[in-house]
Amino acid sequence: MKGHHITPRKTLLKVFAVLVALTALTALTAQIDIGALNIPLALAIAGTKALLVVLFFMALKYDKPVNALFFALGILFVVVFLTFTLFDTAFRGDLGNVGKEAILNTEGTGQDE
Amino acid sequence: MANTGTAEHTAQERSMAHLKHYFVSSDQQFDAAKLGMWLFLITEILLFSGMFVAYAVYRVWYPEVFAIASTELNPWLGGLNTVVLLASSLTVALAIHAAQTDKRRALVINLFITVLLAGVFMVVKYFEYTHKFHLGIFPGGNFAYAEMNQPIVPIFFSIYYVMTGIHGVHVLVGMGVLSWLGVRAIRGDFHSGYYTPVELSGLYWHLVDIIWIFLFPLLYLI
Repeated sequence: MKGHHITPRKTLLKVFAVLVALTALTALTAQIDIGALNIPLALAIAGTKALLVVLFFMALKYDKPVNALFFALGILFVVVFLTFTLFDTAFRGDLGNVGKEAILNTEGTGQDE
Repeated sequence: MANTGTAEHTAQERSMAHLKHYFVSSDQQFDAAKLGMWLFLITEILLFSGMFVAYAVYRVWYPEVFAIASTELNPWLGGLNTVVLLASSLTVALAIHAAQTDKRRALVINLFITVLLAGVFMVVKYFEYTHKFHLGIFPGGNFAYAEMNQPIVPIFFSIYYVMTGIHGVHVLVGMGVLSWLGVRAIRGDFHSGYYTPVELSGLYWHLVDIIWIFLFPLLYLI
């Protein structure tokens, strides 16, 4: 098929080299304790690696835009799934010590049957 | 391939053999198949996202437990497997390049190197799993590792086993598909006019690689 983009071998090899370098980088930065920044940094590096794979190995950069649109929509729903779940679970506070009696004795909610 | 008149004629006939009657052209058939593959990949991403969300929920609740439990994972083995999978992604991309440029020999070689690298990944995974079983680190209620008796630690390992396990199943499926493609490539099924199965399986394989790109730092490097 003549219309297909053929990614040059040189490009593929360069992308691979960058991916291995980023793997070494994420392993190194994980050894340094920078507190709350460790997770965002690790995710940023992983995200960059994933983007390189998607754009060059999966050739989405050169592909029909409709494939990129579908992919982006899929990622959007993953983000919705993750953030909206965390809106609930991350802000519940400590419910570990709330026993059955404490809930039943609470005035208002749960009493109006 | 020899460029004599008859050879070219048969090559042309063979190059159209894959075209289904309900498609206008090879290109249309290829684009339809590829869009279908991307849709399938989205369902795969959503399958794994359920596990990533479970991971995020528990990590936000118990960050210190994740930090303790993850020390039991060997980052060198995880890193080795990362590089192995990245290399296998490269060889799949090179295989597609070979198919696009009618290099049958390079296509076959790259496909089988990919299968080999996937095999290396699974062997490393096997040693990691058996080492943990030896220590008594089993998923869920069977957890019996006395040195980590903190609560919630078994949940970390349950998440670890489910995520890496389902990822490993994907690697095994990929090995089967890529081996089958290798046999078909030897048979001469693929050429620059038709390599859709190689392209689609390549997309699948890269996705399996991407999942691992996230699993490695999230599980091994806390």
